[in-house]
Amino acid sequence: MASSRDDFIIAIRSAFLKKSTKQKFSLLSLVLISIFIILLSSFDFRIVRYLKIGINEIVYRSSFIVSIPENFVKNTFSEVVEYSTFYNDYKKNKDELSDLKSNNVSSEIIQYENKELKELINDYVSSSNKILAKIIVDHDSPFLKSIVINKGSKDNIKIGTNIYDQSYLVGRVIEVNYKTSRVLLLSDLNSNVPVSIAPQNVQAIMTGSGSNFGKIKYIKDGLTDTFTEKSIVYTSGTGAIFKSGIPIGRLKTKEKNSFINLNVEFYSDFSQLKYVFAELIAKNEIDITNANDLKKDQTSINLIESKISILEEEIEIIEDTNLKFKEENETLKKEINNLNNKILNFKNEISSQNEKINKYEIDKNELQFLRLNLSYGHLCRKSFLNNKGFKVGTEKYKDCVFRKGRKN
Amino acid sequence: MASLKSDNFLMKFYSWLPIIILFISVLNEFDFNYLNLKFFSFNFPYILIFFFTLKEFKNFDYFLVFLAGLFNDTVIGLPLGISSMSYIIICISTSYFRNITIRPNPIKDWFYFLFIIALINSINYSILTLFFGFNLILMSYLVNIFFTFIFYIFFVSIFKLYLKGIND
Repeated sequence: MASSRDDFIIAIRSAFLKKSTKQKFSLLSLVLISIFIILLSSFDFRIVRYLKIGINEIVYRSSFIVSIPENFVKNTFSEVVEYSTFYNDYKKNKDELSDLKSNNVSSEIIQYENKELKELINDYVSSSNKILAKIIVDHDSPFLKSIVINKGSKDNIKIGTNIYDQSYLVGRVIEVNYKTSRVLLLSDLNSNVPVSIAPQNVQAIMTGSGSNFGKIKYIKDGLTDTFTEKSIVYTSGTGAIFKSGIPIGRLKTKEKNSFINLNVEFYSDFSQLKYVFAELIAKNEIDITNANDLKKDQTSINLIESKISILEEEIEIIEDTNLKFKEENETLKKEINNLNNKILNFKNEISSQNEKINKYEIDKNELQFLRLNLSYGHLCRKSFLNNKGFKVGTEKYKDCVFRKGRKN
Repeated sequence: MASLKSDNFLMKFYSWLPIIILFISVLNEFDFNYLNLKFFSFNFPYILIFFFTLKEFKNFDYFLVFLAGLFNDTVIGLPLGISSMSYIIICISTSYFRNITIRPNPIKDWFYFLFIIALINSINYSILTLFFGFNLILMSYLVNIFFTFIFYIFFVSIFKLYLKGIND
């Protein structure tokens, strides 16, 4: 018994302390170093932070280079899938684009109105600037859902910066290095987003599921029945972690054992991200402690500015409609010209027909004269026996023929 | 002379191949996730480290394994030191197993490997949830353990071919 315990101790001691010929460190020292590093990383020391930033910069770049072959395979695979559905997607996108174009103008006006109203309730006005960032590491770990982008503190990225794919929310920055940052995706289990569900206007919290969808949590009982498949999930802005009104996805209800699961189908496909937008926000909060005059002036300037912008928008719309009217006018003018030409042609036709009619009338008179002349010419013609007659070819002779002889 | 030099270089590269593959796999996080299979993942570095430290491969430096762990943590986004500790625990386990084994048996190795990865993943899960407040899916860990265990046999047969090649 004692000898087996001794053997065990010897084996353990040998495993921990014995260094092979090529080994520079014993395993015990390496375990202690790892524990020390874990403890250090749980505290936020400045030196550790800078060291971590340095390691991150090197490792992210190295990972990007090493991942090139894998990314090539991944991209080829997704491209093949894309090409197979290319035509259907194109048709669908075309329809969507025409719908969106028509909605765009009204949504811009709503945005300006929203801005004006926010100013009126002493909220903040945020001037945002989106910068494009490339994803350098997007290893879809089964445990953590995060990506690394090529923008860092150098580009004014901060912890909490919102990350977008087009105008859809993707996640937020959780770690900032000098030239790189790590973004926690909405699908990660550790991601919690305060959301509003439209059109029911229900407030809730969306958490990641570890998969490619989100889950609605912390919702009031009885409200789940009101949701439909068309309900839209967007950020509510509660807690000021995310900006309000950013679209996230569509609600999907799933009934399981008489319990309704509310899942969110993200608009953006996180596995296909190549470039994202990082939003740099400068919050201009309206200072209540400022002098009243200054505040009033500022508010009125802001109001005027936003009104001007709305008016500008309206002018744009009017200009658009004017342009349409002008085009319509042009076409109408052309139509009028065409009609005038037609009228002229008809007139010409009528005049030519009138001429024909006149000629016909003359011919008819002539014929009647000749016919009557044969019968009554001798009564009107001046001759030896009829010295009261008229000379042939004169108007009086003609009248006389038409009267069928001289009548006293 | 030139051919001798190039042969020497190739030989060196060949002998350092496992450690190079280890670094590529941690930087690349080799887990086939883009196949979009639900829960499917396996931990290739665990298999690699377990096999080569068990066979006491001369170029498999513990310090480089430790460094690979740090790289893995950085890439995945885990707190620094977690993977290093896991990898070093594998090294300790294999060293202990080597000391107590008189007659090596592949099936014994395989089940010992299962025990070790289950232990390491339990330690990881506990540290991450208890000390760092991470939300993790336990099922992902279990499936990861299962597939790592299954794929062990497949990769070990390839590694044995490599060892045979280098010994010849």
